[in-house]
Amino acid sequence: MSFFDGLDAESYDRSYRDRDLARRMLTYFRHHTRALALSVVMILLISLAGALLPIIAARGVDAMAAGRSGSWVIVLPLMVLALGLVIWGANWVRRRLTSRAVADVMLALRRDGFAAAAKHDLSFYDDLASGKVVSRITSDTSEFAQVVVLVTDLLSEILEALVLFVVLVRIEPRLIPWLLAMLPLVFAFSLIFRRLARTVTRQGFRAMANVNSLVKEAVSGIQVAKNFRQEATIYQEFGQVNQQSYRINLRRGFVLAFVFPVLNALAGIAIAILLYVGGLYAAAGIITVGAWYLFISSMDRFWYPVLNLTAFWSQVQGGLSAAERIFALIDAEPAVVQVERRPVPVLRGEITFDQVDFSYGKGVAVLSGFDLHIAAGETVALVGHTGAGKSSIARLITRFYEYQGGRLMVDAQDLRTLDLQAYRRQLGIVSQVPFLFSGTVLDNIRYARPETSLDEVKALTRQIGEGEWLEALPDGLRTEVGERGSRLSMGQRQLVSLMRVLVQQPAIFILDEATANIDPFTEHQIQQALALILDATTSVLIAHRLSTVQAADRIIVLQNGRILEQGNHHSLLAGGGHYADLYNTYFRHQSLAYIESARQAALSGATGL
Amino acid sequence: MTTAEFSLPQTLQSDRRSPLRWITWHVGRHAWLVLVLLSGAFGNAVLAAVMFILIGQGLNAVLESPPDLDRLLQIALWIGFSQVVRGGLQLARNYSAEMIGQRLERQIRDELYLSLLGKSMTFHSLQPVGDTMARATNDVREVNLMFSPGLNLVVGSANFLLAPLLLAPRYDPSLVLVPALFILGYTLSLWQYLRELRPIAEDARLAFGRMNTHLAEAIDGIEVVKGHAQEVAEADRFGSLASDSRNAFVRQGDVEARFLPLLLMGIAEAAALLQALLLYQRGVLDVGEVVGFFGMIQLFGFPTFVSLYAYSQVALGMASSRRILELINRQTELDRNPSGYALPMRGEIAFDDVSFAHQGQQSGLQHVSFRVAPGQTIAVVGQTGSGKSTLIRLLNRIHDVSQGAVRIDGVDVRQWDLEALRQQISIIEQDVFLFSRSVAENIAFGRPQATQAEIEAAAGAAQAHEFITALPEGYQTIVGERGVTLSGGQRQRLALARAFLTNPSILVLDDSTSSIDSATEDQIQRAIFRAAAGRTTIIITHRLSQIRWADLILVLRKGRLAASGAHADLLDASPAYRRIFSPAPPEDA
Repeated sequence: MSFFDGLDAESYDRSYRDRDLARRMLTYFRHHTRALALSVVMILLISLAGALLPIIAARGVDAMAAGRSGSWVIVLPLMVLALGLVIWGANWVRRRLTSRAVADVMLALRRDGFAAAAKHDLSFYDDLASGKVVSRITSDTSEFAQVVVLVTDLLSEILEALVLFVVLVRIEPRLIPWLLAMLPLVFAFSLIFRRLARTVTRQGFRAMANVNSLVKEAVSGIQVAKNFRQEATIYQEFGQVNQQSYRINLRRGFVLAFVFPVLNALAGIAIAILLYVGGLYAAAGIITVGAWYLFISSMDRFWYPVLNLTAFWSQVQGGLSAAERIFALIDAEPAVVQVERRPVPVLRGEITFDQVDFSYGKGVAVLSGFDLHIAAGETVALVGHTGAGKSSIARLITRFYEYQGGRLMVDAQDLRTLDLQAYRRQLGIVSQVPFLFSGTVLDNIRYARPETSLDEVKALTRQIGEGEWLEALPDGLRTEVGERGSRLSMGQRQLVSLMRVLVQQPAIFILDEATANIDPFTEHQIQQALALILDATTSVLIAHRLSTVQAADRIIVLQNGRILEQGNHHSLLAGGGHYADLYNTYFRHQSLAYIESARQAALSGATGL
Repeated sequence: MTTAEFSLPQTLQSDRRSPLRWITWHVGRHAWLVLVLLSGAFGNAVLAAVMFILIGQGLNAVLESPPDLDRLLQIALWIGFSQVVRGGLQLARNYSAEMIGQRLERQIRDELYLSLLGKSMTFHSLQPVGDTMARATNDVREVNLMFSPGLNLVVGSANFLLAPLLLAPRYDPSLVLVPALFILGYTLSLWQYLRELRPIAEDARLAFGRMNTHLAEAIDGIEVVKGHAQEVAEADRFGSLASDSRNAFVRQGDVEARFLPLLLMGIAEAAALLQALLLYQRGVLDVGEVVGFFGMIQLFGFPTFVSLYAYSQVALGMASSRRILELINRQTELDRNPSGYALPMRGEIAFDDVSFAHQGQQSGLQHVSFRVAPGQTIAVVGQTGSGKSTLIRLLNRIHDVSQGAVRIDGVDVRQWDLEALRQQISIIEQDVFLFSRSVAENIAFGRPQATQAEIEAAAGAAQAHEFITALPEGYQTIVGERGVTLSGGQRQRLALARAFLTNPSILVLDDSTSSIDSATEDQIQRAIFRAAAGRTTIIITHRLSQIRWADLILVLRKGRLAASGAHADLLDASPAYRRIFSPAPPEDA
């Protein structure tokens, strides 16, 4: 369970009252009440049969001690056989029922979890790593569902102990203290041990993570070491790491190796005591020899639930908090709220910011009283330092985030009144690190319009660099892009995501331009694809490339959420304002003049040093 | 077998003919621990059985008339004593298994690492680092777990099967029957169960994996999903994968529910009781012996319940050792040619009609010819997959050509002494690896005896001195994975500083860094320019400025040399080249 210790609380986490949590959990099980009721019956059967086994054996001992003869010799073994069959059969039925119920509940939770995750707006994902959402939907659901199995297992053990307890009390209450004498010790031991084990395990994990990272480094360093013939040094270092790992693990192993030997020794001593004390009672005729035997042979049935209780408790707790995490994910309120869901006609793409206020969470205002009008079909480039508000403007247009004041309008309609899904279908978005889904290049290009024919896609690809970029892919359009597009180069990924927009034919295009360095030939094709898109759409570009800035109809120079200057590249540069500064910082080295003079610059710098 | 590029003088050679032999050989080095493990397990099981025998004797002592209470006390003391001893033996068993596991982990990781160091550059450039790491960490750990708890429990539970088989006949020889039959039935049913479960459990694992992967991707790409209004389609896709996982889970549950050894256990108990009672009636056994025998049968509970977990752990461990051994045994084919050409390199390069067949992820090359004079700077340009990296790898013989020849200083690289060849060619990869050591140590990695002054001079030449002194502890700052994280451009400049110290005759630079701002770009230009001075330099580059000023430009396209020459030549000859230098933003065609 210590794996889950690291799960930190997230901002959207809430704590539920136990009663609410229980009610919420039960609703997921309500379709399985019959199955659950039946498995409770099976558990009762199993516990009863389990408790009867030593009782029958004790009967046998009594019969033997009394020297009776007759059919019991056959009947008792037959009863034991019957109990064995009942236990196996009931267990079979129970496992089948619970595994179905558990699987169905997991499925329902996962579907709800995913639906919730897909519904949340992007501000939700700013606060937490996507990996944590994933683990809520897969691991937490299974942890929660497993609680049912754990609870029923423990329940069955406790029931068995209870049945035996009642029987034993009725036989001889004075022996009960002797029977249970060791239990507090066992309980204490298992608590202490669990704490100890958790500590060494945690230390072990930490040390292990450390060792693993050292080993990884040693492995990755091999190539460099070989390049410089430094194998002996790196091997020596590796040896130390390996030895350290050995020492730490051995210490941990030593603690873990202790548990069962200690418990067994304790159990042996307890049995010895019970044998002697019970023997005295039996010798005095207070109890029968069979009853005495029953006391001895039932002892471990009291130990199991006690031992397991300490272990299971934290697991059940873990399951409950897992449930809490899932429900928190499902229940989180979306921040983006649409007041109406009007159908969206084909948009022209006119965008108006009217006195818009915007801040992330409760942080500092990014935009306040922001005004901007973008005409239909215009291409606008946003430039400015990090934090100037470029991305915020783009994000508000995509309606991934909620703004706090003012009005944002598209084609003179308030954005909050539109059907969001229909609106986004007319929005083409390419982010800074283009994201592809595993599948083929074709799948990704057709992502927004799966109905697009292969010929249409082919015709489109030929428009860009005569389709040269496709030739570079091993299987053309059928090339698998790998997880998150990892098998394609950055440039290829950008091309595919631009193609995706070309297929989609949106009214508004939003681009957060990549900064990655791309080979000049692919770069040229990207510019071609971009030009095609810019011609057909209203475009808002967060520009990082000189060529993109130069291609814009209007450059908007931003600083601290305010528009400082507007105009085209040449007029702004000639004006010598903030844009000229930005140009010298970010764009100068992309210019042809720089390229032509780079060697001279390098030479002068080199001699100057 | 002495083709290894690095080896220690005196190392034992393990038996690498099969995973089983290999593991056995390693375990064999700890024979006394194995002995402790086996005897601890045996003693533990026997003493567990002895307890039931003693309980039976205790019953007998009370049943005597008059009850022999002294003897009862004696027996009780014996039980307590024997069980404490049993605890000790069990601890010895557990701990020796733990030690074997840990020592094997250390030993095997060491062997693996040593063998990795001995393998050629070719091997390392082809073998994905992630895969090697997984074997050096997870797989090695699995071998450890195979012993503790895996084999520890297997041996322990086997002895619990054995003890009743050995001890029961002491009461009466015929009592061997039930234990023997149980062991037989248990073995068969367990074997059948595991065989049935394995593919189903694998299916369940895969179905879960598919669901998880898809989920992770969809959540990571949530912006794209929402941006394209594909939430519903994605939810459907996830829902169907989640259903697959649900069905696989249920199928696995059904197999697990039918766990036959549990049924056998119940039957064995009934049969044992029946046989014991019948013998009692015939006067062969007394009450204590019936109780003792019935108790021994209960020992079978341990193997019944623990076996599943233990066997799957062992199976995982064997699969891991197969993977590790496979890596160790993989041969690399390049010969080192130690008696080859080894004179100081001038840096003249000639590719004569070079072809290289497509291999794995490596792009091919076809009929590439060019010539470089010593001291020239060459820019290699082309799209991903055009063969740029392959070209470089033929130079220092990570690969050998399929046809034609690569010559350095007029000598075919295959005629060079491999070590002399590689020592004089320095390659700076796209992703520069830094060790978690100080900046100074990283720069001096190729020349550990370099003085601080030399290191600083090298850093200065590489335009790295400025940012290094800005680090919290200057040259003593620890970098790399466990230190300060440096940007791609900073790493590249440290690698350049390294090259200034080792002063290679040929420098190869795979440059894919991008500068966000012009000031950094100035520094990188300067650093690379200085590094290129006085030696043959090959730059795989995306920078137009470097392409512009190279003495020779090689334009690769789909493994062929599409164009080559100086800037002015290419502007004339190649329309593709002309386009990338076109001053205006490109118009659509």
